[in-house]
Amino acid sequence: MSERRRSRFLGRIDWILMGLVVVISGIGILNLFSASRAAYGMPVHISQSLWFAIGSVVAVLTMLVDYKWFERWAYFAFGAVCVLLVAVLFVGTELNGSYRWLNFGFFMMQPSELLKVGVILFTARYLHDRDFSAGMSLADLVVPCGIVGASVFLVLKQPDLGTSLVILSIFGSILLYQGLRMSSLMTLAVVGLLSIPVVWNFGMHDYQRARVVSFLNLDEDTHGSSWQVRQSIIAFGSGRAWGKGHVESTQIQKGFVPEHENDFVAANWGEERGFVGMAGLLGLYFALIVWGLRIASLARDKFGALVAVGVSATIFWHVFVNVGMVTGMLPVVGLTLPFMSAGGSSLVTLMFEIGLLMNVSIRRRTLI
Amino acid sequence: MSAVKHEIGGKRFLSFVLAVAIAFSMLLGRLWYVQILHGDEYYRASTENIIRNIEVSPPRGRLLDRNSTVLAENRPSFDVVVHPHQFVEPKDADTPRPLQLLQGYLNLSKEDVERLAKSISQKQGEVLIARDVTRAQVALVETDRLRLPGVEVRANSHRQYPLEQVTAHVVGFMGEIRANELKDSEQFGYRSGDYVGRMGIERAYESILRGAPGIERQVVDARGIPQGEAETRFLIGDYQKVEPIAGRDLVTTIDARLHLIIDEAMRNYPAGGVVALDPRDGSLLAMYSKPSFNPNSWSGRLSSQEKLRSDNDPYKPMLDKTVSAYFPGSTFKIVGALATFEEGVMGADDEFKCPGYYRFGGRNFRCWKHGGHGDMTVSQALQHSCDVYFYHVAETIGIDKIAEYGYGFGFGELTGYPINDESPGRMPTKEWHRKRSPDGFKYGFALNTILGQGDTLATPLQVALAYGAVANGGDVYYPRVIDRVQTAAGDPLFVFDPKVRKTVKMDPVALEEIRKGLWLAVNGDGGTAYAHRPENIEVSGKTGTAQVHKIGRIRVANRDKELRFRDHAWFAGYAPSDEPTLVLVVFLQHGGHGGSDAAPVAMDIITRYFAGEDPLAQKIGEKHVAPTPSVAGVGERDDVSSGDIEDVNDLISSDAGMDFETDQESPSE
Repeated sequence: MSERRRSRFLGRIDWILMGLVVVISGIGILNLFSASRAAYGMPVHISQSLWFAIGSVVAVLTMLVDYKWFERWAYFAFGAVCVLLVAVLFVGTELNGSYRWLNFGFFMMQPSELLKVGVILFTARYLHDRDFSAGMSLADLVVPCGIVGASVFLVLKQPDLGTSLVILSIFGSILLYQGLRMSSLMTLAVVGLLSIPVVWNFGMHDYQRARVVSFLNLDEDTHGSSWQVRQSIIAFGSGRAWGKGHVESTQIQKGFVPEHENDFVAANWGEERGFVGMAGLLGLYFALIVWGLRIASLARDKFGALVAVGVSATIFWHVFVNVGMVTGMLPVVGLTLPFMSAGGSSLVTLMFEIGLLMNVSIRRRTLI
Repeated sequence: MSAVKHEIGGKRFLSFVLAVAIAFSMLLGRLWYVQILHGDEYYRASTENIIRNIEVSPPRGRLLDRNSTVLAENRPSFDVVVHPHQFVEPKDADTPRPLQLLQGYLNLSKEDVERLAKSISQKQGEVLIARDVTRAQVALVETDRLRLPGVEVRANSHRQYPLEQVTAHVVGFMGEIRANELKDSEQFGYRSGDYVGRMGIERAYESILRGAPGIERQVVDARGIPQGEAETRFLIGDYQKVEPIAGRDLVTTIDARLHLIIDEAMRNYPAGGVVALDPRDGSLLAMYSKPSFNPNSWSGRLSSQEKLRSDNDPYKPMLDKTVSAYFPGSTFKIVGALATFEEGVMGADDEFKCPGYYRFGGRNFRCWKHGGHGDMTVSQALQHSCDVYFYHVAETIGIDKIAEYGYGFGFGELTGYPINDESPGRMPTKEWHRKRSPDGFKYGFALNTILGQGDTLATPLQVALAYGAVANGGDVYYPRVIDRVQTAAGDPLFVFDPKVRKTVKMDPVALEEIRKGLWLAVNGDGGTAYAHRPENIEVSGKTGTAQVHKIGRIRVANRDKELRFRDHAWFAGYAPSDEPTLVLVVFLQHGGHGGSDAAPVAMDIITRYFAGEDPLAQKIGEKHVAPTPSVAGVGERDDVSSGDIEDVNDLISSDAGMDFETDQESPSE
């Protein structure tokens, strides 16, 4: 790039977005440092830092290329992810009873993570190519819902209820942002309610049903998923207003909360920093999401806007479901907390999405 | 390409922001609820999660006889437990799985292994694999530690009874606490897996023997692994230990030497009870019941053969016969004798003629001696155990009076024996017969009653206390089994004093004549026990033959009858005749004849007791294996067949009841 274009480029970099992501990730690493004292093996905060570094590189690369390129390859990417999803059902590695991972020898990858991005790109492209300024009618919805639904079905087959639901939620958020007609909305609502018993009886596995049931009976002193949540609630609650202090979370460190590095990582933060700490963290997430929506509203075209909405929705739904789950408000569905839960594949995927967001932001309309 | 130009502040942007804000408020609300509103409550819960109370049980108190011979003690034992979190399956398929190894070493059944696997998978606390394993098994487990991760051999203690079946009923045994008992006892420190006394002194004095557990508190993590010293001190400060209260030793009045002598003397008879006491203070020297059982087996593992044998034994080994009621037979005649004097039926020298039968109600009631005894005084009537004499007394005073004098001696009511459930026996009255007898009351019943037949029932203990009253001049004592409570070091904490329950109203002349009669029975020619009188000591006493079943009108000799139809044989007496120190009652269930069966056994016991013989010392001298602490338990267990670990609790429920004779026939024609 020429000198002028580079400086213009640099000037348009969304430092606030970057700042928010870095701060939250930093908190995540700090949190894992304290939480990982209960584990054995390589300290997870170190590995998380490495993944963050890799993710940052991915984000930068994503940011450099004009996102028109992504628009062009959106359908192809979506198709490729679907192929991987089919593959994982046949040759996937089994873990805890479900087939979610593909083993490439030197690294393992979860296609369902990629579908989160895939659906965003697909939907953004699909809606971008058409004019729905009057809102989407039921007829309009059939094709996109059908295609996305089919891909989600592949995820549901693994089985992975949590990811399926979150992908559908992200999809729905994008559609809502585009705009649905009232009639469609009403119809969907009714159909949704009617399908609950069907899904309950035929679509869910026993353990999934059990989770919902135990969620509703949380007060009973049972072992299993509700015991885990109860321990998490105790961890949170014992933090009270100001928390127990850095590296002082007795519940986490003494091993009372299982999955304390993945799904239940917020419990450590809540125990050590208290309500104040949690409110602060939620504040940061809120800021990030709102900023993403702002980027959407300033995007130069519909594709960019919808991609931005998709990324914001991803973050929103993950945070909402995860924090709701670990505080006992929602059933346990195995959703990670963005930038905080340990795990390379989810972090890198997320950073890729942040890269897209950054991309859309840089190429926004300038306000005059 | 359509351009969606939403301004910042556009409607859609705002509505989305609002939606997100609402959702986050819900989260904040929930966090507020958990962390602020209920924060303190959860804080407390979090500390409780990590503090574990370990209970430390003190050793159980011992049981000692009057000469400090050990009747019950604790021996070291070993349990095998596993810590589930450390119990990992081996990585390669060739290494045998730990549970498989344990199954082989410890003789576990398939069901046991399945049950254990399930408990271990729950990953909570510790799992008990086996209790009280043999030393060989300890060696097997310990030498294979590398292949058994998380498995711990833990020292414990187990109850042991050196005298085994000889003192079984009065000492008792122990069994594992049941779920329904645990519900009530948990507040007293009982835990699942604890042992409690199930019979005898072990049960009656459970709380004194057990003491109370102490508590040691630790800070642990979710796996139950204790944390560091600093951590502990920070979280629970100085409240780390509560000292246990030791179990107390009990010194009993029982004489182990006497029990052993009795056991040998009873070798030819399959069933019965022997009571020995000191008439001067009511101390029980022996409460022996046969057949007996091995409390070491019953406190540990009972094989299914032993259980079956016990259940099917018609003589009921679990029953304490010293406090079960039977027909007392002629031993009951002292009641009639006293009534004779007190009611003025006869004087000391008055005579009554026994022609061999007694005419009453249009029938002839036979005397045991067909030819009759001729003229008899009261004391002679006792000497020869004349039935006719007492028929006369019965007719004169009536059944209610007999009952009255019976109660006077302590019959028909509980003696106050504190150890095992006792029968009160029965003194039948007119009222009782009206209610209970199929044809109501008949005057003839009095004649059976005075002979200790009919519906009269008494326990060997009651008989002993009554004869004790004769021996000491009229005091019926409370039976005394525990002499004192003391610490393990021997310092006395509490002494149980002798206590008189009631005094028999006896004219001095009456007492003298009764004593004379009892003396003559043993030492006077023609006395029913004369043939067996011992050489070196003077014994006074009374034989009794309680007829259980009469076949038609013919008196069939005992040896020709089925066992359960044979008469009971009794001897009740005291020694030495002047200034008696020992009262002895020998009851042989279906044993035959008082004079020829019970009396020799009693005399044998008395002779050897006063001669100072000590069977334990003799046995060691003869290289007879007397039960010693280190051998008894271990040897027993190795013989037990595998997989037959029974719950002894189920076995004693019905047998620990009382034995009543319900088939009766009056000794009339």
